[in-house]
Amino acid sequence: MEEKVLEVLEEYCEEALGYKGDNMMEEGVIDSFTVINIVSELEDVFDIEIDAKYVVAENFRNKEAIIELVRQLVEE
Amino acid sequence: MQLISTAFIIMWVISFAIYYLVPGKWQWVVLAVASGLFYVIGTGGIPIGILLTGAGTYACGLYLKNSLAAQREALSGCVDKEKKKTVKVGFERQRKRVQILYFVCNLAILLTTKYMMAALPILRRARLMPDGDAFFSRVVMPLGISFYTLTAIGYVVDVGREQCEAQENPLKLLLFLSYFPSITQGPFNRYEKLRAEFEREHVFDYEKMLFGVQRFVWGAFKKLVIADRINLFVGNVFGGAGQGSPGSVYALAVIFYMLQLYADFSGYMDMAMGVSETFGIALPENFKRPYFSRSVAEFWRRWHITLGTWFKDYVMFSFVMSGIGRKIGKSAKKRWPRMGKHVTGMIGTMLVWLLTGMWHGRTAGYILWGVYYGLIMCTSLVLEKQYIIWKERLSIKEGKLYSLFCMARTWLIVFLADVMIRAENLSQAGAVYRAFLTDFRLKEGILSVTDYGLSKYGFLLLAAACLVWLAVSVWEEQGKDVRRMLASCPMAVRWCCYYGVVLLLVVTGIYGGSYDTAAFLYQSF
Repeated sequence: MEEKVLEVLEEYCEEALGYKGDNMMEEGVIDSFTVINIVSELEDVFDIEIDAKYVVAENFRNKEAIIELVRQLVEE
Repeated sequence: MQLISTAFIIMWVISFAIYYLVPGKWQWVVLAVASGLFYVIGTGGIPIGILLTGAGTYACGLYLKNSLAAQREALSGCVDKEKKKTVKVGFERQRKRVQILYFVCNLAILLTTKYMMAALPILRRARLMPDGDAFFSRVVMPLGISFYTLTAIGYVVDVGREQCEAQENPLKLLLFLSYFPSITQGPFNRYEKLRAEFEREHVFDYEKMLFGVQRFVWGAFKKLVIADRINLFVGNVFGGAGQGSPGSVYALAVIFYMLQLYADFSGYMDMAMGVSETFGIALPENFKRPYFSRSVAEFWRRWHITLGTWFKDYVMFSFVMSGIGRKIGKSAKKRWPRMGKHVTGMIGTMLVWLLTGMWHGRTAGYILWGVYYGLIMCTSLVLEKQYIIWKERLSIKEGKLYSLFCMARTWLIVFLADVMIRAENLSQAGAVYRAFLTDFRLKEGILSVTDYGLSKYGFLLLAAACLVWLAVSVWEEQGKDVRRMLASCPMAVRWCCYYGVVLLLVVTGIYGGSYDTAAFLYQSF
């Protein structure tokens, strides 16, 4: 699963892979367009529905947080 | 009541003293009383609007809380996965209906009051509205309606998304909506962060008080010495005296307006945050030196940050992840495999910018301004990969020169946009654009620049003040904490700086007849 998430990130926001901080959205590493594209791709790849309530800076603070979000939604 | 007024300073000092004298658990009450006084006495306003919104928000929050609790209870006794889904969908549908009703009512009130101003002369002629501005501003157009309405909507969405617990104390909720430093111009507060600040006990801290007062004075400097001085020139150029002026004078007026808007709004933010800091309450930053941005997208991530994140979180993502948004996205992806994935994002962006324009003003200029930024954002998205290819083909390397080029490109885009919102109407905006292209007359413009209300000394003073502002901004951009830098200076230097700024404020600030100040530009939004 982790690999697939990283593949999606590589396609839409390569910078996110090397990012070491914990505020990717506010620091402008990932903009809202990219978030939308990543969400849409993750939904297709994992056959999940990511509700708007999960699309917050906290869940997109770095790649680990995105992996954790997907893991949580897949397990639900 | 303006933040720069004797009445406000007295209210601030008294509430500050009481705040640190009462036990920690009552400190929020002091802020609630101060906020109430600021609202009622400060504006002479009748707080019907905010009380109505507060009551509706309180009821809606509690309903959502109870519905979520009932849902959890119903699900806890459920084993079957399908049944669980049905129960969840049923509760969600009910909550959505109530939330939609709440949003529609609040937005209807906001839009009606905002746009009623335009219909006021007709209503007065038909004797449906009493004469005089006082009635309208006190009852129909309540203070801070644009700010507290969006703040309240954000709270309701957060409760519905389970990102915060609904507030059970109506007075605490009212304090969140009406907190006096941010009621007139923001920043837009998020409930969870501000609640934690209100509930925490705050012990008197000399450094916080000092830093708060410093920030307040710095904000006043930007407002009185820079923004209001610029206003003397800009107001005259666009206010009629400038009719038929050379394009170069208009160009200077628009550049000045860019600075005025920034100094005025960020000045207010500094004052609001400074006041709040003295109470130990940190408000979210609303500006991060936007004119250092290398792109328009970055500019809007650094300008009025809390409004941008509000629209992104509550409009953009809500639309894209809604049923309609998903349907549009899927069909676009099927139809245009390469570009289809961007379609919902682009529609969301246009929607956000249209609403941002409408939120800022009632005129067609603001609508056009919103559409202009929306189109620029969408175009840059579509052309993003092409830019990279062009950059590689032209062998353009990243560096200081390229950064400066990118910043200049951002300034130009903002410059062209600001004509639309500063001109008195669209026909004047059209005339200004025409003057840029066909009637620039640079030499004539330079020679006549002091004919518009700002003397040679006024220009020199303005330039000096802007240089100080620029130096502080550059230090901040380099990650330096200017207030700490100042604090580490020898006492004599420190106090020279304090007295210097205060003296500059008193001697060179632009005051009205009774030492009142011009209204803040964002107050009218």
